[in-house]
Amino acid sequence: MSAGEGIASARLGNWIEGFEGDAAERGQTRAQWELLRIHWAGKKQGVVRGLLEEIKRIEPEQRRAYGEDVNRFKEHVERRLSAIDAALAAREREAARRAAAVDVTLPGRRPALGSLHPVTLVIAEMEQIFAEMGYSVAEGPEVEDDYHNFEALNFPADHPARDTQDTFFLEDGLLLRTHTSPVQIRTMLARRPPIRVICPGRVFRNDNDLRHSPMFHQVEGLAVAEGITVGHLKGTILAFMRRLFSPETDIRMRPSFFPFTEPSAEVDVTCQNCRGQGCEVCSGTGWMEILGCGMVDPRVLAGCGIDPDVYSGFAFGMGVDRVAMNRYGIPNIRLLFDNDERLLRQVRG
Amino acid sequence: MEFSCQWLAQYVDLPADPQELARRLTAAGLAVEGVSTHGDDTVLDVDVTTNRPDCMNHFGLAREIAVLFDVPLRRPPAAPAEDLERTAEAARVTLDDLEGCPRFTARLVRGVRIGPSPEWLRRRLESIGLRPINNVVDVTNFILWELGQPLHAYDFAKLAGGPGGTIVVRRARAGETLVTLDGVERELDPEILVIADAERPVGLAGVMGGLASEVTAETRDVLIEGAHFDRKAVRTTAKRLGMHTDASHRFERGADPEICGEAVSRAAALIAEVAGGIVPAGVLDVRDTTKTWTRHGRLNLAKLDAFAGVHVDPADAERWLTGLGFGVDRSGGPGENVWGITVPSWRYFDFQPRPEPPHETYPQDLYEEVLRVFGLDRIPAALPGIPGADAPRAENLIRRDRVRRQLAASGYAEAIHFAFLDPARDAAFPSLRPAAQPIRLANPISEQLSVLRRSLVPNLVETARFNQRRGLPAVRTFEIANVFYERAQGGIPDQPEHVGLVCGGRLGNPWEREVELDLFDLKGTVDALADAFGIRLEARPADLPGVLAGNSAELLRVQGGEVVGWFGRVAEQEGYPLYAAELATAALAGGDVSLKVELPSRFPGISADFTFTHALDTPWAEIERAIRELAPPDLVAWKLKDRYRGPGVPEGAVNTTLSFHYNARERSLTQEEVNARQGALNQELERRFGWKG
Repeated sequence: MSAGEGIASARLGNWIEGFEGDAAERGQTRAQWELLRIHWAGKKQGVVRGLLEEIKRIEPEQRRAYGEDVNRFKEHVERRLSAIDAALAAREREAARRAAAVDVTLPGRRPALGSLHPVTLVIAEMEQIFAEMGYSVAEGPEVEDDYHNFEALNFPADHPARDTQDTFFLEDGLLLRTHTSPVQIRTMLARRPPIRVICPGRVFRNDNDLRHSPMFHQVEGLAVAEGITVGHLKGTILAFMRRLFSPETDIRMRPSFFPFTEPSAEVDVTCQNCRGQGCEVCSGTGWMEILGCGMVDPRVLAGCGIDPDVYSGFAFGMGVDRVAMNRYGIPNIRLLFDNDERLLRQVRG
Repeated sequence: MEFSCQWLAQYVDLPADPQELARRLTAAGLAVEGVSTHGDDTVLDVDVTTNRPDCMNHFGLAREIAVLFDVPLRRPPAAPAEDLERTAEAARVTLDDLEGCPRFTARLVRGVRIGPSPEWLRRRLESIGLRPINNVVDVTNFILWELGQPLHAYDFAKLAGGPGGTIVVRRARAGETLVTLDGVERELDPEILVIADAERPVGLAGVMGGLASEVTAETRDVLIEGAHFDRKAVRTTAKRLGMHTDASHRFERGADPEICGEAVSRAAALIAEVAGGIVPAGVLDVRDTTKTWTRHGRLNLAKLDAFAGVHVDPADAERWLTGLGFGVDRSGGPGENVWGITVPSWRYFDFQPRPEPPHETYPQDLYEEVLRVFGLDRIPAALPGIPGADAPRAENLIRRDRVRRQLAASGYAEAIHFAFLDPARDAAFPSLRPAAQPIRLANPISEQLSVLRRSLVPNLVETARFNQRRGLPAVRTFEIANVFYERAQGGIPDQPEHVGLVCGGRLGNPWEREVELDLFDLKGTVDALADAFGIRLEARPADLPGVLAGNSAELLRVQGGEVVGWFGRVAEQEGYPLYAAELATAALAGGDVSLKVELPSRFPGISADFTFTHALDTPWAEIERAIRELAPPDLVAWKLKDRYRGPGVPEGAVNTTLSFHYNARERSLTQEEVNARQGALNQELERRFGWKG
């Protein structure tokens, strides 16, 4: 290192010190930075420019060292100005961002959606499952006559089997249907086999207590064709229950009696609460009684003009409300028809 | 219905485990709902279905058990030691009503000593919850629960006409009365079948005996009646008099017509055993000789298999049927594949013959009998192979689905109400058919649930109030269901489907941009619903019941002009106001449902607003009609933009601001063109409707 360089370095140090002192003061805002830039790096009046012009007055032998110092100083100024510029720009962007920002964690405004009734949704699901098995949906009137609700279904006049139905009568002898089976009759009277229908709808029984509602919902099914077997009845119900509940669901058929089917059976399914382990819901049996079914009684077929020696069929019926209660965790059937919006609006689907 | 295992064991050997017995019975259609212990006995609670009156007694159930466990059945003895006197000479019976009483049998026991029953008999009755009375009455009850035949014991001396007197089974005469065993005096009429002596009724046929001829401590001679009464006759009596007894329960379901004689003989033998006495010879047995309860049928084994979807071993089928009392004749036809079957008398009611000759029973009746013993759980599951789908979804169902989805998407919660309600509430709101009177239930739960709804609104308003009272700041519910209108010509009522809506209150808060729901929110929801089906509805101001005057309208279908609904503000207010609407969903059918769209112009459009002052009572519908009439070229849309009343607007007037939008198909319109057209329209609207002070 030569003595001249040492002297030159002291000179450069003074220049830098001067610049940095000014930069510390004026590097805080865009407007001050502009003044800083013009003062030090201005093309005409800038300090660096002045130092460059000063070279003419430097002793020739000192010029080289001086020139190097000026150049190094120039580099320093340019580098620092650009760094301050970048810092200012970042600060400006940050300020702009902050000025425009919203709290994206605030609650969004939801469209005020309504809801469908649990019973509607369960019926829709059942219709969908049967639609996939080729069934269509049939409906009929809620006020019915004795013929469609009882007589055509092989409930003989004055037979105690009618007592089990707790029928609401109208004053002119008509009645509120006690099941959706009259729709099966209307379907068989109107059409020829093969028939595959399900009949969802409201039904009425004169029974009003904590566990019963005088109006509730059923889905019944009917298949009539040549060669329909008891095995088909069983297979259809099993397939349906496994779709409705879960693939592990099992069924159990217990022979029973309904006037319009023979053989008739009550169907139990694996308790959905305990998966068959036994709980309060199923009284420890592991089974839930859910459906009645059977092979259509030949008297019913014959009464509808369908030859029971050629055709056979099966029918089944189940309550929808209890499935809905089970699915949505509604403990009491009466809550289904209270129409408390706080409950209804929680229902999804 | 309760059954004692010790009692059953008199006729059949039972499995050691009563639970196994319960399982097997349940699997064959005799559902055991409870197994309990009664001292050293086990009692089964069996749900015997109405088609199996033959199983409503111990011997009948034992017959099932014998078949299910393939063990022998022991028939109880029914042969009393007989005296020389002949029953038929001591008593006579006349059947006046063969339809009501096709068979009557009786036995006499002379010289009985009435007293308590022996221990074994008392235990039998007590095991199934019956109260022992005296040895003679206990025997008759025992037989009812053993063989299923209801019996009645008369004090023979108290029958008028005395010994040798005649018993008549006849219809009661108007004005006759009978004090029955329960001490109640019954007024009789000719619909009621009675047992009578020479003078008066002594018993209600198949229901209950009379008090006057009751067996008492002094009774010496007992006449035991074992008759077969027609189920309809017994049901008529029981219903008319509001009675239900163990006897009527069995007769109404169809008792065994062929067991009467055996039952009275067994009763006579048991009475002689437990109460002493002498039994005259023979059974007094009078019957309608033209009547037969025998049923015949044929069982084709191949068809049985085809019906079941599983092969049933013919040897099993034959053993089961025979054990159940069916006659099986295998000499039938070639291949022995078709058996002739005779149905036992105790099953006659369950095997109603075919209407056409030779009046055989349906084969399905026999399939059922075999398959319930076979076990439905043993039949393999299969799916029917019917090709294709049944039928497409009906249009009204698709429509209902769409209505539901659209209203739910419009913010309404679906409600489901009962179809019946209070007549006062039903009458409180408009009916789309005001002439149709409400349909009353003959046996309602209460007056509050006694008429069928003619409108969905009353229940929806009630629900809205229920929700209001629970503090909901806004309510919006809808229901889609049918209503009931009587038909002028009678018959099944008209049951059209309606949709009803009710709303009210304040939706949301300042952050959510709150809305005070009013009549026009409701109307807009209904209009949008109709629009989805290509239907235009027009509101015609109408004063309707239950809604605030000047705040209600009928809804007319523009296509057709008929009234299909209404809407209005509910008159009675409790908390915030409620708004209701109802629409017949049939009105949504047949709309303009063209799927074709109109292509928007590629050229920019120009909008213009127009505000003018007009009288408050100028209906918007008129202004709208005028704009439609005067519409300048390229006017593609217009809307109500705002209505203002307040400072600067004269009393009785309103400022209406309309917005218009012009767009030409093939070019850009100039502002000058639009100004000219809109100016002319404005001038004409001003001229027609403008406020003239």
